[in-house]
Amino acid sequence: MNVLGRILLVEDDSKDVDLTLTALGEYNLANEVVVVRDGAEALDYLYARGAYGSRAKENPAVLLLDLKLPKVDGLEVLRQIRSDDRLKLIPVVVLTSSREERDIVASYRLGVNAYVVKPVDFHQFVNAVKELGVFWAVINEPPPGSVARRN
Amino acid sequence: MSARALRPYGLALLAIAVALGLSLAAERVGLEDVEIPLFLVAIAVTIWHGAPGAGAVVVVAGVLCVDYFFTPPLYTFAFEHKDIVHIGVFVVFGLVVGWFAAWHRRTEGELRRAADQLRDEVAIRTRQASLLDLTHDTIFVHDMNDVITYWNRGAEEVLGWTAAQAVGKRAPEFLRTVFPCPVEELRAKLLRTGRWEGELTKTGSDGKQIVLSSRWALLRDSEGQPFAILESDNDITENKRREEQIRALNAQLEQRTLELEASNKELEAFAYSASHDLRAPLRHVAAYAELLQKTASSVLDERSRRYVANLLESAKKMGTLIDDLLAFSRIGRVETRVTLVSLGELLREVLRDIEPETAGRDIAWKVETLPSVHGDRSMLKVVLFNLIGNAVKFTGSRSHAEIEIGCSDSAGKELTVYVRDNGVGFDMKYANKLFGVFQRLHLSDDFEGTGIGLAIVQRIVARHGGRVWAQGIVDGGATFSFSLPKT
Repeated sequence: MNVLGRILLVEDDSKDVDLTLTALGEYNLANEVVVVRDGAEALDYLYARGAYGSRAKENPAVLLLDLKLPKVDGLEVLRQIRSDDRLKLIPVVVLTSSREERDIVASYRLGVNAYVVKPVDFHQFVNAVKELGVFWAVINEPPPGSVARRN
Repeated sequence: MSARALRPYGLALLAIAVALGLSLAAERVGLEDVEIPLFLVAIAVTIWHGAPGAGAVVVVAGVLCVDYFFTPPLYTFAFEHKDIVHIGVFVVFGLVVGWFAAWHRRTEGELRRAADQLRDEVAIRTRQASLLDLTHDTIFVHDMNDVITYWNRGAEEVLGWTAAQAVGKRAPEFLRTVFPCPVEELRAKLLRTGRWEGELTKTGSDGKQIVLSSRWALLRDSEGQPFAILESDNDITENKRREEQIRALNAQLEQRTLELEASNKELEAFAYSASHDLRAPLRHVAAYAELLQKTASSVLDERSRRYVANLLESAKKMGTLIDDLLAFSRIGRVETRVTLVSLGELLREVLRDIEPETAGRDIAWKVETLPSVHGDRSMLKVVLFNLIGNAVKFTGSRSHAEIEIGCSDSAGKELTVYVRDNGVGFDMKYANKLFGVFQRLHLSDDFEGTGIGLAIVQRIVARHGGRVWAQGIVDGGATFSFSLPKT
C-alpha cells in the first residue's frame, strides 16, 4: 500500500467511518483521509511497517483517534505515539462517544491535543468533524516531516 | 504488787495450811507418816497453779512445817542428824514434783495455745472458704493426681455438681474436660512456671458443654513440692456464642460488601458501556435519518417525510434519555466534594442559566434570601436548577406565572428550601411516583422532559443526608421542598 494522507482516521465502526468521510467530504477532505480499523493497524501505519511497510515515511498532519478499539485501544496508541520521538509531535484528536471523566483525564494526561465527544445530532457531528478536519488538516501548520498538502 | 500476782503466794500458804491441818488431824487419829505425801501434794498443787516464786515459798514453808511439827525434836526447827536424809529427800522430792508440775503446766499451756491457734486458723480458713463460696467464679482444687479436694459454690452453680458429688472424683473424667493442648504440655508448663491459662470445655451435670476461661495455679508446700492445683474458671459459653454470632455476621457483611462492590463495578461498567456503545448506533440512526432527509426529501411523499422526521426525533430523545440516565448514575458514583455553599449565590446563577427558557414569559419571581449550607456545590446547583426548571416548565400554560423560592429553618437542625409555583400541579395520589426514575405525571407531548429530573434531585438530597417531598393540587400549583441537615 502506498497511501499518503494528511488525516489518519482510527475508527473501528464502519458507519462512523462512513459518516466521518461524508462529513469531511463536504469540505473535499475525504480523499485526504487514510482509514485504519484498529489500534494495531494504526501503529503499523505510523511506524510504516507490516502492510504499510512500503509507504513514504511521513507523518499524518492529524490523527483522529477513537478510544474503544479492537486489539490495541486508543489510549495505548496515544501513549506509544507520545513516547516515540519520531511520532510525538503528531497532533492527536480523540474523537469518541465517551463523555466519561476518566477517559478525558487519561487522554489529557497522555498529551492529547483535543478531545471531542461525537454528538448524537448529525448536524453537530458534521460540524464538529468538518471543523476538526479544516483546522488540523488545512489551517494548522503541521510539524516538519508531515505529509504535504495536495494541490 | 497486784493482787493477781500475790494470788499464787496466797495459794501456797493456803495449801501449806491445809496440808498442815490434815497432817495434824491424821496424827491425832493415829495415822503415821502421811504428812510428807500431803505436803508434797500441797507443793505440787501450788506449783501447778502458781509461779516459780510461789513454788520456792511452798517448798521452804513445807520443809519448815515438816521440821517443826513432825521431826523430833518436835516444835523446834532443830532436827536430828538422822533426819537430815528425810529432810533432803523431802526437799528433792518437792523440787522434782514441782519441776514436773511446772513442766506439765508449761506443756499444757503450749498445747492450749496451739489449740487456740488452731481454732483461730480454722475460723479464718472457714471464713476464707465461705468467701470463695460467695464468688460466682468456679473455684476448685485438685491434687497432683487430679482428684478434686475443694469445690466452691460457683463451681456448683456453673457445673451443676455439688461439693459432695465432686470432691474425691478425678476432675478430667468427672467433668469430661476437653483441653486445647495435650495434657502433658499443660502439666509441663504448670510445673515450670506455676501457672497456666487457656480455654477448656467441660460438661455439666445436665450434659451441656460449657466453655470456660480457665486459670490454673500450682500450690507448693513449705519444701517447694507441688501438692495441689487451684483452678478458677469463668463461664464464657455465652460470650463464645456471641463472638461466633458476631463473626458470622461480619462474614456476612464482608460477603455483602464484596457483592455490593461487584455490583457497583458492574454498574460502572454498564454506565461506561452505555456511554460508549449505546450512543454509537443511536448516532448512526440519527445521522442516516438526517442524511435521508437531506438527500431524498424531494422524492419522498409527505407521509414518508413525517416518518423520517419522527425517526430523527425519537433518536434524539433517546440520546437525551441516555445522557440523563448517565447523569443520574454518575451522582451515585461520583464522590461529593463538601464545601460551604452559598445557596443565595447558587440561586442567582441558576436564575441566570434559566433565562433563555423564561424569555417572553410573564413570571413574577418571589425570592427570599437563602443561607449557606455545607454540601457539594455542583450537585446542589443541579437540585435548584431542576426544581426551578420544573416550576418554569409546569407554569408554561399560565398567562401569569408565580414562582416563589424560600426557606425555613426548623429547630436549627435542618434547613428546608421550597420552590412553589402556580402551575398545573399534580394529584397527591401520585405524589410517591414523582421522585422515581422515568416517572412522569404528564404527557411528554404536553411537557417535554425525560422524567429523571426529580429522581436526580432526590438522589442528590439523599446523598446530603436530607429529604425531598412535594405538595400539589391538580391545576392549583405545586410546592417542592428539600431539607438539608445543618452540620
